[in-house]
Amino acid sequence: MPRVYVSSVIDAPAAKVWERIRDFNGLPRWHPRIRDSRIENGEPADRVGCVRDFHLQNGDRIRERLLGLSDYDMFCTYAILESPMPLTDYVATLRLTPVTDGDRTFAEWTAEFECAESEAEALVTGIGDNVFQAGFAALKRQMLG
Amino acid sequence: MVKVSKSTILEAPVETVWEVLRDFNGHDQWHPIVADSVIEKGWPSDRVGCVRRFHLQDGSELRELLLTLSDADMAFSYCLLDTPVPLLNYVAHVRLAPVTDGDMTFWHWESRFDTPEGREAELKEMVAENVYQGGFDAIRTHLGLARP
Repeated sequence: MPRVYVSSVIDAPAAKVWERIRDFNGLPRWHPRIRDSRIENGEPADRVGCVRDFHLQNGDRIRERLLGLSDYDMFCTYAILESPMPLTDYVATLRLTPVTDGDRTFAEWTAEFECAESEAEALVTGIGDNVFQAGFAALKRQMLG
Repeated sequence: MVKVSKSTILEAPVETVWEVLRDFNGHDQWHPIVADSVIEKGWPSDRVGCVRRFHLQDGSELRELLLTLSDADMAFSYCLLDTPVPLLNYVAHVRLAPVTDGDMTFWHWESRFDTPEGREAELKEMVAENVYQGGFDAIRTHLGLARP
């Protein structure tokens, strides 16, 4: 099972970073690749089980279900329901941990999925660079302001 | 129950830091409060269940049991068996993780324990600052790393 792992240090308190990313419908506000997002059936974005339906800047549509959300441990776990990517059984977790030495944030983003062996390398690199690392880079820029 | 959670970022690859930390008997080489340390019964220090018996600089003797060691997760946990300091039911967890966008290391060190009533704040401060933060600073010196 291919696995993606990207981690970073964000120079802001974890509570502040968490405020931004805990909103399951909030990707367009901080992730540069996401154009728009809505939660299906008008449900609240922190209701576990809710589905976000969003578009990338290139028009691709993705639907994801919120599987777990913890304000205590600061993590969010979700699964892809529909996407143009050639993969299945995709589950990802975005987790924050405070760095007490300097009041910063350690951010980890992991994903596991199934795919054809020939697609694995490109998917791992693409998700790691374009989604996870690009998201952390954007958060770092935003938290400076 | 008291909970202590401390963490830092080291400007070194995670493999370098893990090589030092995974040695359950190596703390007297880098931690300034540890004077000497041995593993009981001559066991290897990476045998889960081994006990390290060590002395602090002030002469007090402690014994700690290795509960978990994982090279896959770069993590270990241990508990205190005997200590002159009243840290009761003390269990600690250490975890390292790579910072992939900078070739640095995230180091998390946390524990839970009970204390006699009224001594919670004092003992929490001692563990957090003297043991954990002191350990972070000492590893930086040991590995020749800059302060962040």
